[in-house]
Amino acid sequence: MNLKRLLVALVLLLIAFCMPALAQDRLVAGKVTDAKTGLELASVTILVKGSKSIAQTEQDGTFKIKASANSVLVFTSIGYAKQEVAVGAGDVNIKLVQTDAALNEVVVVGYGTQRKKDVTGAISKVSSEKINSIAAPSFEAALQGKAPGVQVIQGSGLAGSGSVVRIRGVASISAGGDPLYVIDGFPITVDNFTRNNNGAMNQNPLAALNPNDIESVEVLKDAAATGIYGSRGSNGVILITTKKGKNGKIQVNYSNKVGFQNYANKPDFLNNMEWLQLNQEAWENDGNTGKAPLPNSLTYAQAEANNTDWWGLLTRTGIINEHNLSLTFGNKWIKNYVGATYSNNESYLKNNAFVRYGLTHSAEITAIKKLKINLKNSFYIGDNRRVPAAWAGGLGDAMSNATPMIPVYNIDGSFFTGGANPVRRLNETKWRNTDYRYIAGLNFDYEIIKNLNIRMSGNYESYRGVDDQWESAQWVGYSFPNGKAMRSKYGGENWVANFTVNYNLNINSKHRFNFLAGIEAQERVDKDFGYIARDNVANPFWKETDLYNKLYDSTKAATEAAGNLFVVERGAETFRSVFGRVNYVFNNAYAFQISARVDGSSRFGSNNKYGFFPTASFGWTLSEENFIKDLKWINFLKFRVSYGITGNSNITSSLYAPTYVPGALYSGVASQFQRNVGDPSLRWENTTNGDLALEFSLFKSRVTGEVAYFDKVSRDILLDAGLSPSTGFTRQMRNIDNSKVTNRGIEFNVNVKLIDKEDLKLSIGGNAMSISNRLVSLGELSADAAGGGTNDTRVAVGYPIGTNYLVRFHGVDPNDGLPIWLDKNGKTTKTFSLNNRVPVGSVNPDAIGGVNHNLVYKNFEFSSLWTYTIGGNIYDASGKRQAGIVTDWNMRRDILDRWQKPGDVAKYPRLTRVPSTYDGLSSEWQYNSTLFLYDASFVRLRELTVAYRITGSLAKKLGIRNARIFATGMNLLTFSKYPGGDPEIARDFENPTDRNLSPNITYLTPPQPKSFIFGVNVNF
Amino acid sequence: MKFKIIIFIAISFGVFACSKDFLERPQAGTIPESEALQTEADLQKLLNGVYFNLTSDYNVPVRGEVRSIYGGRLQYISDLLGDQANGTFFSGDDGEFFGRRTSIFGGYKNEAYSGVYYAINSTNKIIERLDLANTNKDAIEGGARLVRAIAHFELVRLFAQPWGATADNSHLGISLRLESSKVSKNRSTVKQVYDSIIADLQTAEIKLPDAPSVGFPSKWAAKAFLAKVYFQQNNFTQAFNYADQVIKSGKFALDPDYTRRFSLPLTPLLASKEGIWVIKNVNNNLSPGGEFRNRYRSDVNFSPSGKFHVTDLFYNLATQNGDARAIWYTKDPTGLNRFNKYNKDFFDMPIVHYTEILLIRAEAGAETGIAANVSQAIIDINSILTRAYAGNSQNLGPTTPAGIVISTVRTQRELELVGEGNRVQEIKRIGVRNGTNIDRRGAPWNCNGLILQFPNDEQAANTAFVMNPEGGCN
Repeated sequence: MNLKRLLVALVLLLIAFCMPALAQDRLVAGKVTDAKTGLELASVTILVKGSKSIAQTEQDGTFKIKASANSVLVFTSIGYAKQEVAVGAGDVNIKLVQTDAALNEVVVVGYGTQRKKDVTGAISKVSSEKINSIAAPSFEAALQGKAPGVQVIQGSGLAGSGSVVRIRGVASISAGGDPLYVIDGFPITVDNFTRNNNGAMNQNPLAALNPNDIESVEVLKDAAATGIYGSRGSNGVILITTKKGKNGKIQVNYSNKVGFQNYANKPDFLNNMEWLQLNQEAWENDGNTGKAPLPNSLTYAQAEANNTDWWGLLTRTGIINEHNLSLTFGNKWIKNYVGATYSNNESYLKNNAFVRYGLTHSAEITAIKKLKINLKNSFYIGDNRRVPAAWAGGLGDAMSNATPMIPVYNIDGSFFTGGANPVRRLNETKWRNTDYRYIAGLNFDYEIIKNLNIRMSGNYESYRGVDDQWESAQWVGYSFPNGKAMRSKYGGENWVANFTVNYNLNINSKHRFNFLAGIEAQERVDKDFGYIARDNVANPFWKETDLYNKLYDSTKAATEAAGNLFVVERGAETFRSVFGRVNYVFNNAYAFQISARVDGSSRFGSNNKYGFFPTASFGWTLSEENFIKDLKWINFLKFRVSYGITGNSNITSSLYAPTYVPGALYSGVASQFQRNVGDPSLRWENTTNGDLALEFSLFKSRVTGEVAYFDKVSRDILLDAGLSPSTGFTRQMRNIDNSKVTNRGIEFNVNVKLIDKEDLKLSIGGNAMSISNRLVSLGELSADAAGGGTNDTRVAVGYPIGTNYLVRFHGVDPNDGLPIWLDKNGKTTKTFSLNNRVPVGSVNPDAIGGVNHNLVYKNFEFSSLWTYTIGGNIYDASGKRQAGIVTDWNMRRDILDRWQKPGDVAKYPRLTRVPSTYDGLSSEWQYNSTLFLYDASFVRLRELTVAYRITGSLAKKLGIRNARIFATGMNLLTFSKYPGGDPEIARDFENPTDRNLSPNITYLTPPQPKSFIFGVNVNF
Repeated sequence: MKFKIIIFIAISFGVFACSKDFLERPQAGTIPESEALQTEADLQKLLNGVYFNLTSDYNVPVRGEVRSIYGGRLQYISDLLGDQANGTFFSGDDGEFFGRRTSIFGGYKNEAYSGVYYAINSTNKIIERLDLANTNKDAIEGGARLVRAIAHFELVRLFAQPWGATADNSHLGISLRLESSKVSKNRSTVKQVYDSIIADLQTAEIKLPDAPSVGFPSKWAAKAFLAKVYFQQNNFTQAFNYADQVIKSGKFALDPDYTRRFSLPLTPLLASKEGIWVIKNVNNNLSPGGEFRNRYRSDVNFSPSGKFHVTDLFYNLATQNGDARAIWYTKDPTGLNRFNKYNKDFFDMPIVHYTEILLIRAEAGAETGIAANVSQAIIDINSILTRAYAGNSQNLGPTTPAGIVISTVRTQRELELVGEGNRVQEIKRIGVRNGTNIDRRGAPWNCNGLILQFPNDEQAANTAFVMNPEGGCN
């Protein structure tokens, strides 16, 4: 493609619009501000009454218009009352009175901003205040229940764990299903798998960002909104706008949160005597006599004497302590923002905490009148004091093989080593993950002529991650006196440069155009700085930096001497694009938008490098029409429709070609390995995305909201599986021919101001999304071709992505206590067979949303947020052993409802220690049945806040501008039918396929935290 | 002027982003195939990778499983399928092996399966690109064929009914992979698989060098495996022939005691001489036998639910008559019989060793019935017995009948090769040989569960793939 030619054409096209303004009588200048807030108002239309002369205010509210001395100026802006002012001698300064605040909101869109009323796409905005209202582990978790169509499943109770975020459903199988995160126009690196699934936790790349630096978050959902991001738009886009500097004297904001954190839920396990009894019962059921053997070489005397509370020994009340300080100051030339943060977020797990340090500076420099320079530097450190969880141990042990019979210590005071001993591990191992992230941005915004701006922007991001582990000699089992220190180090760089041209054109206030054209290039690299381990070291490498550096250098030298690279790239890709957007608003009532983007990516082979992603949308503000204008109860009504194609290529790089990697030395000689088979036809996943919506504001704007219907159809689905293992490879990324996934749903949100008085305000709001996700076609592949993690979820034609594919449990035969199953045809059988697995449930909810209330009485505030999930299933993979086959695991209390003698009607079959007692069952792992499938519906009191604002004279007395004191609880109440613990589950994932397919699958996953926070927020 | 500057900036930016190569961005450290396979050295590197992984699950970032063939994983699965393990506490995948009821899932087994095929695929790549080789062509080809053969051999023994289970061996074997391909392939017959194994080994026997060197196979390794393969087929003439050649080479010898075979030598003089092909431990580089340490070692982190330990019946059998090998067992306070053979931090791991070849020569010799061979068999077994019982108290007389020699060798074979995955193959081989079931757990030698189920992914990718029937052992 000849980009050069296109670019020149675009620039020339833009120049063609640059008509000089017509001459007028006298130049009237002035400024328009908001009557209430005093904020400068941009894009206010100024018309000289009775003429065709028209102007608009600038970003700073100023305007200039030629008018005769005795003419009248008419100021109009949607959401404000019209004002007419006669031109006098001096400047005309006007204060406009708001009629509807929401409509005047400016929302951030891709590569620019738009007034909310002109927007033709589906965008939800969440403010800084809402993001910082709770002590969420990371900003994205705070979005839960606050934006319609956005499903946020907060990660587990582990400090620093990440959330699964889905915008209007999941459309991919093996390509990442997470949205694109863009900070101030910069698509940042968000990879949950940089540390794979180490210690049963996926890294949360967003955790280190300082939520307090965020001014607002815009969630882009439909094609009209995301289309400008082309090939990365299918999963939605989350635009993060950070705080900016302000003009004027120094203003200081300090906030502090102090609180406590504990688990929201805890599964109920049997004590030692109960366990022994059930073990004995199983032993005798299996036809044995005498005492049943005990696991972990325990004697009955020991087992009966111990009733270790592992859960209690591994948990605590975590302390949350967060300090934020931000400053704004500036003058005519430079406006500064400085934000600093320190937070120590201890989880309820002993030795587990996430410590965050952050420092940001941003400056807006007005170098010359028409040139604005924005410079931003952010540096974040996330220091995660890790503990293992789930299958990797720790609290996972307390839920599995650390039974109450196991003692912590031997009689001589040494640690018991005959079985799982997570307390020993806590004491004998140390683990830290430290992440450093630097984000910088520099952009130049130059107004060449009036309304024609060019913008050049460069962004750079660099990250480093260190994984430090240390295990004592006793733990490793070596005979050295000291332990083993291990460090893996990795990092990466990401830069994006773009160049955009933006032109606003107003033709006699009836026709408003905005043209945007741009080009962009990006390169992203992820590097591996190797793994260094050393035996017989007394301390972790974070205390032995000299030793580490020495080993690093020598290992690096040795590797390089062998002719291999030491620092290898785990991923590397380049990306370049051309994009454009045209907005046209006619008569303030009809808004049209078309956008297109061509993306080229190094992820694909030469025939498939480029993709084209066009969109078109239309918004009709019905309330501007006369037939509605007469209806007094309607303040604003807009109909919106959009349609377009977006893409997804969120896969690792270098998969299209067969590749090799160098290995370690073998007998002093180099080795290499084939890494990948390759598929030259690898290409983009495409989504056609349709959206129909109605936005409304009724009854003097006391009822506001939006209803939307969306229909997304994704094709050429990427799948990273389906290879015969006898090829030697288990995975190859490819597009499945004729595959199709649909996501259809309705989204709704409403806010009602029930009471709206000066001293007393009460509003209630809510949002909901009902969604149906379906895999329509999977080409020639069978349901088992793509599985999430532990064999429990699948993709099956006609069912959602993430279908529970299980054998149906019919009940327990009262005569012999054996389980009765349903075969594929629905007939009962007593033989278990994996061939009888059928799609029986889905990890996707039918509906999600939130309900909030906000009560303000004088300076008091009382607010709440409830979030809910309706429908969908939870599959508890740990139930197979906690409430299934009797093994060396803890057993859940609900297994007491088991068959014991003929005639018993029980939930669980007769106990057994031998899986094959249940005919056909090969092992407890294969006990994948609906016996452990639960309704995932839940309602949770996500936030409850009481606050008091200090203003006015009291504030003056205290020497501050204002302050807010508050107390907030998170996850205080949960209502759910799920007996296994917490119903909000984002387990540890093996890979993106697992992440798409297996939310709501739990396997010893630590429950969500519950926290109480006391806080103060002071402005000086 | 302004516009000129802007257009200039825009164009130069555009030129940069549009430069032809911008969207070609290979990862440093990841090599395209066209560059990775260019010279003989490249082939040797690929082969070194295969050797590296023979005994180590070394984790290189490949999009498949890299699991060793002789690092302990397949041996552990075999030993649980056999009848020496005490399986009271096994659950999960181990419970499936011990219960002889493996299913289409089960990560431990499925990873092992695709891991072996990963090695096979690499050997195929090498054999396909032998045109790149020159001076070392024979050694490279011989090595690749040797590994391809033994990889198929280990799989066909575990995933298919044994040689001889049908008269013409037309029963289903495994997917025979003789070329690198990403296309699914149906199972070949057992005969086709064994024919290919023997053909590869016979080529390797010719191509490989005569002198063993550290880490690299010699022709003697190929011959030793030919002895093993023929022995598994109950082809005693050929088994005897190849075992005899290996022994007569004089390059290997029986160790005087039991401390050396898998150990790092304390001094060079104390090094084991048994290894016909040994992968040696290299500190901070290569640690062979990780799964032997993880799944057998009993002095550290022992757990009856995760480690091989033996039944009382076998314990009594293995610790009688002053057997020096009784050091391999410890009865712990809870009455469990722990297994000590691999109680070491590090191993030098023989892929095939002298004791086994000597046992093959003894049993095959006795089976041939030829007087000279029987006499040799008695000498061979007596050298084993002398070492085992610290003297000649249990030795056979020079005129012991062949039948007794055979049964004595079989017992000694079981005792010597405990923890090497041997016993389950003996149950099958002797089952075929005599039509008898020697399994102490009473299962028929050809019951379904004594072979492993294929991974589900074979069928998911290829509906025509025939899976093994399940169940029916105990």
